[in-house]
Amino acid sequence: MTRQSRLARQSRRLVPPTAVAAIVLAAWYFGSYVLIDADRRFLLPAPHEVVKVGFLDPVNLAELLAGLRLSAEVAVTGLICAAVLGLALAILMSQARWVERSLYPYAVALQTVPILALVPLFGFWFGFGFPSRVLTCVLIALFPIVANSLFGLRSVDPALHDLFTLHRAGRLTRLVKLQLPAALPAILTGLRISAGAAVIGAVVGDFFFQQGEPGLGQLIYVYPRRLQSEMLFAAVFLASAFGVAVFWLFGVLARRATAWHSSQQRRPDTGGAAH
Amino acid sequence: MTDDGIPALTMEAVGVRYPGGTLALDGVTLHLAAGEFTAVVGPSGCGKSTLLRLAAGLLAPTTGTVARASERLGFVFQDPTLLPWRSVRRNVELAGELTGVPAGERRERAEDALRRVGLSHVAEALPGTLSGGMRMRVSLARTLTGRPDLMLFDEPFGSVDEITRGRLGDDLQELFAADAFAGLLVTHSVAEAVYLSQRVLVMADRPGRLVGEVAVPLPYPRLPEVRFSPAFTELTSQVTALLQGGAADRIEVAA
Repeated sequence: MTRQSRLARQSRRLVPPTAVAAIVLAAWYFGSYVLIDADRRFLLPAPHEVVKVGFLDPVNLAELLAGLRLSAEVAVTGLICAAVLGLALAILMSQARWVERSLYPYAVALQTVPILALVPLFGFWFGFGFPSRVLTCVLIALFPIVANSLFGLRSVDPALHDLFTLHRAGRLTRLVKLQLPAALPAILTGLRISAGAAVIGAVVGDFFFQQGEPGLGQLIYVYPRRLQSEMLFAAVFLASAFGVAVFWLFGVLARRATAWHSSQQRRPDTGGAAH
Repeated sequence: MTDDGIPALTMEAVGVRYPGGTLALDGVTLHLAAGEFTAVVGPSGCGKSTLLRLAAGLLAPTTGTVARASERLGFVFQDPTLLPWRSVRRNVELAGELTGVPAGERRERAEDALRRVGLSHVAEALPGTLSGGMRMRVSLARTLTGRPDLMLFDEPFGSVDEITRGRLGDDLQELFAADAFAGLLVTHSVAEAVYLSQRVLVMADRPGRLVGEVAVPLPYPRLPEVRFSPAFTELTSQVTALLQGGAADRIEVAA
């Protein structure tokens, strides 16, 4: 591929979202300076004011970053726990139908229960510290991992199962050498969805806890009550950027780990051999 | 027959009834001698693949018995059934890996098998980067590493184009000539069945059963030109006639 065509491809990819960002910023400025009176501008502070107050003031920035650090710790710990627990449950369910019949309805129920409504209960039982927040995250992030992993483990080509049966492969060999690698794209898709859910769980859970060390959620709860709208916007921006970053990171990870998968492949030249 | 007279594969009055009640196969008796290559043709859904799964031990018969002289069994599926995350070499090594062949020997066997199917140059490539025909050869190479006494082929060339299909057939003939395994090939192509085998068994459906056989006394190696010979045309006509139910149960043809 020539340098020009690569540049052209990159610009084709970057121009549309950049144009959308420019339009949103212009609309934001329009709303801030034209639609809203100066004495009510706290409702929609201009973008540069948000940057100046939220990110260029060292004291404010330190407060936001401390909130981000706590929320990130909760989200990452919750995600790791959900991934380990979710994958273990999916493996168990994939090995025996009776395990699936026993557990899957509860995994589905977990998805339909408003977990955030349980936050006060977790507070009663486990206090309002780190463990309760992680628990909230785990419960929110668990289902996508369980459902996607189970789907992946169950979707292995029956002919490949036959191949392993012909060679008298045991259950563990079949799991390690066939089912888990074949399910990897589905597992990583589940992990990606769960990563987004874990970030939401960490931020929104923190919003509901309203006690203990403040994460981004509590800051988002507190700033409007203090009419610190620039800080509110900065905190919302930081929470969103964190979510996008985590989602992007898992996307890259999935692409690298499943380069063999048909969804990731462009067929290279194999030396002209076509039969 | 083997030296001691035991067939490579014996099926006696085999029947298969699926849980829903459908009778998939009924009263199939088949003896496959060691070193004999037999093809099975029949209409879609007549139970050809079921017959092969029985022969492989992937399915148990409802009635009758199935016996194999050796457990060294090779199965070539309709699709190449490669693990897409493994390189070609590691796919070929898989059979040995699952049966506990030591790593060094496994690698030697894989390299030898890849050389035999002409794919040494793509040993480190991923299957997804190969053509359909090449993938099928990888599948053949994987089967060869087990040094099978009995090879079962389930319409192995059904998913490739006509030219590739012909080439793969010739490759298969060469492998058969060199290794002298007993082969049972299921195919829906009458010409392919006659070209590759020493005997063609014809199946009918509802329920699946053997309705006749045609011996193919054409000498090996068979060159592609043999397809245009009068004897070949005569043989394919007889198999076709049996398929259409318009011939006697057993017809012998001289070369």
